Amino acid sequence: MQEALKATSENSQSLMDSKNNAPSIRIKELDFLYGNNQVIHDVSLDIFPKEVMAFIGPSGCGKSTLLRCLNRMNDLVDGARIGKGSIEIHGVNLHHKSVDVIELRKKVGMVFQKSNPFPKSIYQNVAYGLQIQGIKSKQVVDGKVEESLRKAALWEEVKDRLNENAYGLSGGQQQRLCIARTLAVEPEIILMDEPCSALDPVATGRVEELILELKNEYTIVVVTHNMQQAGRISDRTAFFYLGKLIECDQTKKIFLNPNKQQTEDYISGKFG
Amino acid sequence: MFGFLRGMTFFVLFCAAFLFWDILSKGASKVFEGDGMVNWEFLTEHPQTLHVIGEGKDEIKLSSSNYFKLKDEKILVKWEEFRQSDEHDQSRRELDKVINLLEREWDDDSLAQSNEDFLNRECDNAANKFSFWKEMLVDVNNTAIDFEMKPEDVPSMVSQFILGHFEMERVRFSLVEEKITLFRAMQYPKIESISLKNAEQIEDAYKLFLSVVPEVYNKSIKLFGREVRSSYDEFMQVEGPKEFGRFAEAIVAYSNVRESFWGKDYESENWESLQASLTPFKRAMNVSLPSRDYAYSGGGIFPAIVGTLLLVIGAMAIAIVLGVFCAIFLAEYGKSGKFLSLVRLAILNLAGVPSIIFGLFGFGLFVIFLDWNVSLLAGWFTLAFMVLPIVITASEEALRSIPQGFRESSLALGATKWTMIKTSVLPFAMPGILTSSILGVARAAGETAPIMFTAAYAKRSELPWEGLEHWTDFFFQGVMALPYHIYVVSAKIPQNAYTADMQYGTAFVFLLLVVGVASLSIILRNRLRRKYRW
Repeated sequence: MQEALKATSENSQSLMDSKNNAPSIRIKELDFLYGNNQVIHDVSLDIFPKEVMAFIGPSGCGKSTLLRCLNRMNDLVDGARIGKGSIEIHGVNLHHKSVDVIELRKKVGMVFQKSNPFPKSIYQNVAYGLQIQGIKSKQVVDGKVEESLRKAALWEEVKDRLNENAYGLSGGQQQRLCIARTLAVEPEIILMDEPCSALDPVATGRVEELILELKNEYTIVVVTHNMQQAGRISDRTAFFYLGKLIECDQTKKIFLNPNKQQTEDYISGKFG
Repeated sequence: MFGFLRGMTFFVLFCAAFLFWDILSKGASKVFEGDGMVNWEFLTEHPQTLHVIGEGKDEIKLSSSNYFKLKDEKILVKWEEFRQSDEHDQSRRELDKVINLLEREWDDDSLAQSNEDFLNRECDNAANKFSFWKEMLVDVNNTAIDFEMKPEDVPSMVSQFILGHFEMERVRFSLVEEKITLFRAMQYPKIESISLKNAEQIEDAYKLFLSVVPEVYNKSIKLFGREVRSSYDEFMQVEGPKEFGRFAEAIVAYSNVRESFWGKDYESENWESLQASLTPFKRAMNVSLPSRDYAYSGGGIFPAIVGTLLLVIGAMAIAIVLGVFCAIFLAEYGKSGKFLSLVRLAILNLAGVPSIIFGLFGFGLFVIFLDWNVSLLAGWFTLAFMVLPIVITASEEALRSIPQGFRESSLALGATKWTMIKTSVLPFAMPGILTSSILGVARAAGETAPIMFTAAYAKRSELPWEGLEHWTDFFFQGVMALPYHIYVVSAKIPQNAYTADMQYGTAFVFLLLVVGVASLSIILRNRLRRKYRW
């Protein structure tokens, strides 16, 4: 798995311009259940390298569940299981027993809805992922912390107070800190679960800018309630309803001229 | 109704206030003396006998160590007076003369002479006794009439006499006790089947045996004699009461050996004049300091303070380690189900078990079965088990109150479950865990019953770090403890006017100690809380 991931990340340079090449993530006819309660029905979806994919849909439509399947965060939930189908990243089935879930989560990072930095210093938050890998060299960690904070567009704001508690930051800064923390472990894919739902419009704008920058290097999957946001930042959009994938297409197409009536109803605010 | 409720509340308040006021006011008078100074003796000394001198207002209370110090001082004063007097010079000259005379007893010539005397005397003695017994055996019938018994019983009576004789000799010559026992054992067949011929043989053997006795005694006489001389020289150099005490002890030791060998009468003139010339010095040392003595009511409670601190710290360390691991299992790994609710039920029930039951449990398991005896270790584990329910329940709460987001972010950054718990759950739960353990501290420090059988001594003269042969012995020693000490001074010793002081003083220190330990945990918790705020 590790080698597979590494190999493709080297290839991904050449795939940059041609998004319709081999997909990063391929979801095949996936059924997913919590106990006996099926929450995802027969979803098939490809996500390509270095694109921003937005998942939209009303509450309880399974979009967050699907996102959490992509780095197996659902393993934590009692009774969560795959009914049928599979998820592959670069052709490797995530749920195969030979897959090291720790390595998977390093490659597939995740940013959560509520910004949740650890109650430690800003520096320690970003360094956390490196430290649990056993990297002790201060030089390496320092460099990585700065690089990640710069990528997350936070460096200029916090460089003088790296040792202060992360909870002294504003909400938007905290969320960007969480993104920086994720970037520090060098993921290839970043999953974002409604990253701006708790932020004010200005902070939201900055996070959105950041996402647009990050897509030059990373594959990003965003779950969002905010359809305007999906329109602003995503290349493609997938609309889910009641655990089913209704439609997935170029974002412009979905918003201006969707194929399905349900999509149009949702976009135009008839329900949701 | 309002008035009634308010009345009840005020009553509770009054009771609590009275309790604290009572302990604090009475205890403070023991811990702080009249002028507001801390009574260090109470805090740093061992419990001792209280000596009370005088009555009413002039009453002086002294612990044993101070009492004997005072007595020594008085002796010194009297001694100095004696040294200034004319009597002193004369007594000294006499003593000198007597000692020089006495010294001749243990030079080789006089020893050779006295050995000869000894042998002559003892052999005569033996000959006398044996001739009496032999006579009895010569005319058995006559003897039987004299003693009003059957003739065939006479030999066994004589053998009883002989055995009795050797028993007495054994006591008399304590230095060669083993040799006489051995001699008697070897002669035993002959003694049992006693006849005229056998009696003669035993007599000869005994006379032969006697000749080895002086050799052993001479050694001891020389040894103790030289000790008398050297302690005398020392005394002459310093001429203090302590040196005189040592000299007097050396004389007693010498006189014991001397008496055992020569008997009381040997050259008793010398000996009597020695006793006479000692008398003026002895009189100078004889100071009476009349006091009323109350066992265990004086001194301090230092060993109990140390013991309680050790018990609390050790028990809490064990309880927190065990409790936190248990709580981690319950909160992070346990799947909800029958097993888990059973465990919870067990823990809740454990919290309701009376403390004396814990004491018996600890006694049975640690003291008897594991053979740890009454020891710190047994007390630690017993107390730890008692506070475990508190620690587990509260630690679990603390762990559950950590936002799920910390766990998820940690896992999403590539942490294993254990790394996640170790780095982003446990540290943040620590303030909560410590809060709970504060309750545990108060309980562990306060209970008497669990340590009564497992760890507490009513009195122990060494402190826990004294007299250890090996460092592991530290864990296998009993200690004194404040709550048990309160119990002992209140219930186990004869009560008198001074025990109440001791009780209140101990209770006061005990309260302060518990408050102190709890404050330390609170400070630690607050520091952690400030560090980990979210």
